[in-house]
Amino acid sequence: MTEKDTTHFGYKEVKAEAKAGLVADVFHSVAARYDLMNDLMSGGIHRIWKRFTIELSGVRKGNAVLDIAGGTGDLAARFAEIVGDEGRVVLADINDSMLQVGRDKLLDKGMQSNLEFVQADAQFLPFPDNSFDCITIAFGLRNVTDKSLALRSMLRVLKPGGRLLVLEFSKPDNDLLSKAYDTYSFKVLPFMGKLVTNDSDSYQYLAESIRMHPDQDTLKDMMEDAGFERCEYHNMTGGIVALHKGVKA
Amino acid sequence: MSKGINPTLHTAALAALESGLNRALQLAPATAAELEQLQDCIFALHCTAPEIDVYLQPAASGIRLMGIHEGPVTTSVRGEASDFAELATAKDPAATLINGSLELQGDSAPLIELQKTLASLDMDWEAPLVDTLGDVAGHQVAQIVRAAVGWGSQASSSLTRQLGEFIHEEARLTPPRLELEDFYRDVQDLGLRVERLQSRTARLRRRLQKLQG
Repeated sequence: MTEKDTTHFGYKEVKAEAKAGLVADVFHSVAARYDLMNDLMSGGIHRIWKRFTIELSGVRKGNAVLDIAGGTGDLAARFAEIVGDEGRVVLADINDSMLQVGRDKLLDKGMQSNLEFVQADAQFLPFPDNSFDCITIAFGLRNVTDKSLALRSMLRVLKPGGRLLVLEFSKPDNDLLSKAYDTYSFKVLPFMGKLVTNDSDSYQYLAESIRMHPDQDTLKDMMEDAGFERCEYHNMTGGIVALHKGVKA
Repeated sequence: MSKGINPTLHTAALAALESGLNRALQLAPATAAELEQLQDCIFALHCTAPEIDVYLQPAASGIRLMGIHEGPVTTSVRGEASDFAELATAKDPAATLINGSLELQGDSAPLIELQKTLASLDMDWEAPLVDTLGDVAGHQVAQIVRAAVGWGSQASSSLTRQLGEFIHEEARLTPPRLELEDFYRDVQDLGLRVERLQSRTARLRRRLQKLQG
């Protein structure tokens, strides 16, 4: 098998075409209790990370926004309020279970007039060129098989001047924090997953996939290689999470 | 965004503040309706000490606070925290903006409107009590709270007045305000008379020099 034929699934090396199915199984398993687990795992801080993403997005009334790997719709819901009836928000996710949970949640909140739900693969986005003012992908890029292909696909569907925001786990900038974070990720998270979703393997994968994800500077380079300009990142919570931003020229 | 402030902490602080403000606004529906008129306005508050930037966007659903805003702003105000506090509590915000040390750019009218709307926040404390405790018990508790708050504010103003009277009149620790103002007026009068006397003596000296010459 050549390097191009294989990819990481956590710490395991798997065939590239098998990764999407394996990731799908993880999210099918956790979809129903995804929000609860996010709150438990992060102590609610994921809401602060997402709020900062919304602020940095610069989205305003009338904009078209694509939220890839939108999951249970936290970002999409807020964007839908900001863009108003003149705007458009597309919540996309490759996983039908996650999309179903997100769609039910938002429809139950009475949000539907400017929201669309699309099952889509980030690597092959089914939208015309230059369609969106802003694209966000929160805690989704590390699950994508070919990240560079996905970044190029996002660049294609962004309008010139449009912004991509990648919110993703990253590398802590402090050794002590890094050690504490490792213990938490590999000991506490799988245990918590077992208790809440009766599935420790999915949370073991979560911890492993975070470690295999490119660090802050590597991801910034990947965005620049894909064609994004004015790339920058902001570390949050000591670098446990980083928000990358790039603009389509 | 504010330089040197951790984005997580900054965002968390703004989220907490926004949540508190919006809870208060939920108890004041009239204020929320007035804020709707300003929903297309963005106010940039640049605090120089401590160095924090906050962008404020009113809407019918409440107030949105942001640490970053890249679009155009309606009104931008720069100053120290104490200047902002002075503006927030001013009875006449227009005069505070003109005479105070805040630096203003953009349209001042919406900012004055916002200050007046927020300053006149009239919260209906009874509504959440009634929701939680029911109509009768909620109303009774609200009456007790209202009476306690009324008594407290009356007692506080009476205590302040009596303490002032004791300091000025009984203990004679400081002169009363009117006496002090009278004294200042006398000093000012004396200053003016001295100036007049100085100019008169100068004129006489010049005249004497002319006669001698």
